Amino acid sequence: MEKELSSKESLAIITQMISKAKKEAAGDGSFQLLLWGWVVAICNFGHYTLEKMGYEMPYIVWLLIIPAVGLSIWDNIRKRKRARVKTHLDEMLAGIWISVFVGMLITLSFMPTLSFQQNPIILILAGIGVISTGVLVRVKVVLVGGILLMVGSVIAFLLPVIDQYLVAGIAMIFGYLVPGYYLKTTYRERV
Amino acid sequence: MSEFKPLDPLLHSQLRLAVMSLLISVEEAEFTFLKEKTESTAGNLSVQLDKLEKAGYISIEKSFRGKRPLTTCRITDNGLQAFEEYVENLKKYIQ
Repeated sequence: MEKELSSKESLAIITQMISKAKKEAAGDGSFQLLLWGWVVAICNFGHYTLEKMGYEMPYIVWLLIIPAVGLSIWDNIRKRKRARVKTHLDEMLAGIWISVFVGMLITLSFMPTLSFQQNPIILILAGIGVISTGVLVRVKVVLVGGILLMVGSVIAFLLPVIDQYLVAGIAMIFGYLVPGYYLKTTYRERV
Repeated sequence: MSEFKPLDPLLHSQLRLAVMSLLISVEEAEFTFLKEKTESTAGNLSVQLDKLEKAGYISIEKSFRGKRPLTTCRITDNGLQAFEEYVENLKKYIQ
């Protein structure tokens, strides 16, 4: 059943199997970027528009986050169940994004302390996640998206709170949606 | 020439080497993944996985996903070290 291997055959097996494992690891993943990109952009633009129109409770749009969290968790569980292999990269990305998510929750819990300047901080945290992802999956568009989130944060800090919503909405388009659609069309989906 | 060491017979086999090469690239992998990528039969793969586990090169965890049995394999520290030594020795043979 087994034949004697030559050194070259051994080497060929090793390199072939490593590349096969790599291909499998490059699974689906733009879903999260697109989900959060759309939801957070809509919430930001919605809040900005409602407040400009003089609506009393512009923050009501943020309720959209609740179903988004549910959808995000559902997608993660579904993918974990389907995956037949767990890679180091998947583990690293999960670690980074869970930390980012916890950081965002802490920030949002202290909104009054921050005088409601939470948006620029959220953009920094999102930027850390997107930049790290871009570096790890070696996709420049994602890396640039992350950098733009950081730039958005600086701009937002320089503006009044109400305008920060507009900046954050635009930053989400360049930092999440553009990389998300790019990953989707090039089948290099991760996150 | 004295540098030539015999290659680890446990790794110097087509299927076992393929399995170990897959496992060094990932955190853990399911039986079906290994079977598909190595293009082996379930019976042969089971036998080879058993040998690798007995040598302490991999750990095998058996569980269930729903009602289906699920076999998950991962490389151990010993296995990683053995694989690295094997590659080092292989380099000398090729040079």
